Amino acid sequence: MDLSRRGFLQAAALTAAASGLTVACGNGSGSAGSKNGKNLTLWYWGGALSDKVVAEAKTHFGKEVKLTVASIGGDFKSKLVTTLSAGTSVPDITGIKGEDMASFLPNANRFLDLNDLGFKEISSKYLDWKTKLARTEDGKQIGFPIDIGPTALFYRADQFDKAGLPTDPDKVAAEAGTWEDYFALGVELRKKLPGTYLINNISSVFDMAVGQGTERFIDRDNRFIGDQDHIRKAWTTAVRPYTLGLDAKINDNSWNAAIGKNLTTELGAAWHALDIEQAAPNTKGKWRVCAMPGGPANQGGSYLALPKQCRNPEEAFKIISWILSPENDARGFADAAIFPAAPAAYSMPAMTGGDPFFGGQKVIEVFGPAAKAIPASYEAPADAAVMAPYKTALTSIEAKGVKPDDAWQDAVSQAKQIARRQGVK
Amino acid sequence: MTSPPVAGPAAAPRRHGGPGPARFRPRRTPPAGAVRPPRRRVLSYWRQYLAISPFFLIFGAFSFFPVFYSLYLAFQRWDGMGTMQFVGLDQFRFLWDDPVFWMSIRNTLVIWVLSTVPTLFGALVLATLLHSVRRFKGFYRIALYIPNVTSIVAVSIFFGAVFSNNFGLVNAVLGVVGISPVPWLSNPWLIKLVIALLMTWMWTGYNMIIYLAGLQAIPTQIYEAAKLDGAGPVRTFFQITMPIMRPIILFTVVISTINGLQSFSEPQVLFGSNAANPNLGGPGQAGLTTLLYFYQSAFVNNDYGYGAAIVWAFFVLIMVLVVVNWRIVQRGRKS
Repeated sequence: MDLSRRGFLQAAALTAAASGLTVACGNGSGSAGSKNGKNLTLWYWGGALSDKVVAEAKTHFGKEVKLTVASIGGDFKSKLVTTLSAGTSVPDITGIKGEDMASFLPNANRFLDLNDLGFKEISSKYLDWKTKLARTEDGKQIGFPIDIGPTALFYRADQFDKAGLPTDPDKVAAEAGTWEDYFALGVELRKKLPGTYLINNISSVFDMAVGQGTERFIDRDNRFIGDQDHIRKAWTTAVRPYTLGLDAKINDNSWNAAIGKNLTTELGAAWHALDIEQAAPNTKGKWRVCAMPGGPANQGGSYLALPKQCRNPEEAFKIISWILSPENDARGFADAAIFPAAPAAYSMPAMTGGDPFFGGQKVIEVFGPAAKAIPASYEAPADAAVMAPYKTALTSIEAKGVKPDDAWQDAVSQAKQIARRQGVK
Repeated sequence: MTSPPVAGPAAAPRRHGGPGPARFRPRRTPPAGAVRPPRRRVLSYWRQYLAISPFFLIFGAFSFFPVFYSLYLAFQRWDGMGTMQFVGLDQFRFLWDDPVFWMSIRNTLVIWVLSTVPTLFGALVLATLLHSVRRFKGFYRIALYIPNVTSIVAVSIFFGAVFSNNFGLVNAVLGVVGISPVPWLSNPWLIKLVIALLMTWMWTGYNMIIYLAGLQAIPTQIYEAAKLDGAGPVRTFFQITMPIMRPIILFTVVISTINGLQSFSEPQVLFGSNAANPNLGGPGQAGLTTLLYFYQSAFVNNDYGYGAAIVWAFFVLIMVLVVVNWRIVQRGRKS
């Protein structure tokens, strides 16, 4: 084809103009002036909400607004941060992962205060400790709790039986009331069933042990407390199974293969049941759940929030409070194993049934009380970053045989440095 | 690792709007043959500038601006959303005292050496072999190049499965022979070895194609003359092929240095399923490369200022290494 220069230039100019136009249109969606927009977008990630409930919300509110749902893949948090700081095409409703909430709190002014929209009146329906984690120090509520992750002890009843140990959840919970009891149980298990392990890795134990306390790595006055007794105690607890030889030292995806084979117990949140089920479907009926040694902790659980640019706050709040009403929460548990943050849901039929994977055990009897007993802790914005070196050090103990005391020194000095970098005193 | 840039543009003879092929001569140019046409105002070339503008606009928005913005960020503390706070050289001071940063540099350099040396050497050998092959040329070229066009993520997942400590293929094969399982993905050195192996696998074919192009440009007469003088294949390789290929080798060394030091996806995907620290390079952080550390600081910990400081410090290091490489490869030429 012989393209003349003029023709080429004209085509180029047209293309440039067209792309400019597209960009201009793209900008339009975020900057509607009035606050009663008819179009609302909802961002979440696969599995954050029950797709069925969301689909119903679309028709339920279809008369008032058009709800567009986007399931965002990949790194949700960094995409949200980028969009918020760009300030255009911001979703009207967005999910925020529980572990990221603390890092969004310093920028609470990017979100609407849900208390102004009526969250105050219904907040008593939701677990207080969970709601608090999405509230700023001056009382601004930016997150509406979706779900929580109460932890428990999953165990192989058939293996326990083989080793001559009790298999009834209540009895196991009583035998493994404290971490020390639990590890003693593990020693016995390993004696009877050589080649099996009690836990998959020690950083998961550390995670749980830290979560059982009310203080974490940074206190409310923004001071580093990761070298104090409560963390040291969690560390010692985590190292115990390693010294006792109960640690499978699994830090990669070979967990998928191990979970059905030589792991006799597993510490995890309610949603973790699904992981076990998917990784080891042939162990169906052999697992049971009981209260976690030393009390419950929380792992994960997300929120919905309304960015400041929300085009119709009232309607958006109506939608999220409908999606997250205790009734719909209970349905979310039934179809997507999303454990509700609303205790009223725990007694609803959708949640009180027996779980065939756990031999028909009514798991809510374990997770329900655990959910209510989780201690309210303070999580600083830099908490996750400061925690990382501890877990890395624990992994080095497992992988490189580093002496636990040396690893502790390393972890604390690194954590201090990260804390300082992030502006912690 | 991003896809490598293609070889730089061939140096074209410069023209200042002077006589050229009639088709590309701007209108209103005085007929060729004048001693030197008067310089024309830049604006009168607007069509030409418009035609080349898309590249520069996109380059400006997505490369040029971010590069310098990141330099600006290196002197701030910023969580990505809130207000920026000027902190002067604090980020660089933290960097200097940060053992993890220095460890990441060490990891990167070790992985780079472990991957670049076998890659380039293997590529040269393969190219020489392929150059003398008579049959199935196309098949060999495609087969050896394919790893380079495969997605890094897919390859990393595959390597992760093959080298898995407990249930991997490699350990299974070793088990059959009677060797006890090797902790490929938890021993600090083996982690680096696996990453380097992955990179070697991916990049040998790419460099081989470049070498092959270079080899084909060497006139056969030289080889014939060498043969007549009684030089064997090894001697021919070292005394004829290597010296003539020097500029091409230099090019691949520079490109491999830049690429090899930017290893990121490989450790990120290999250890992405690490329960404790998805973005910290696996057990003992042995696979933590500098770029992975940067990613972790900026996009996981939302410490954008520190992330920017890491990459700029790393930029200086890459520049130093490229210059050193250049010198080493150039050295022989003058003598």
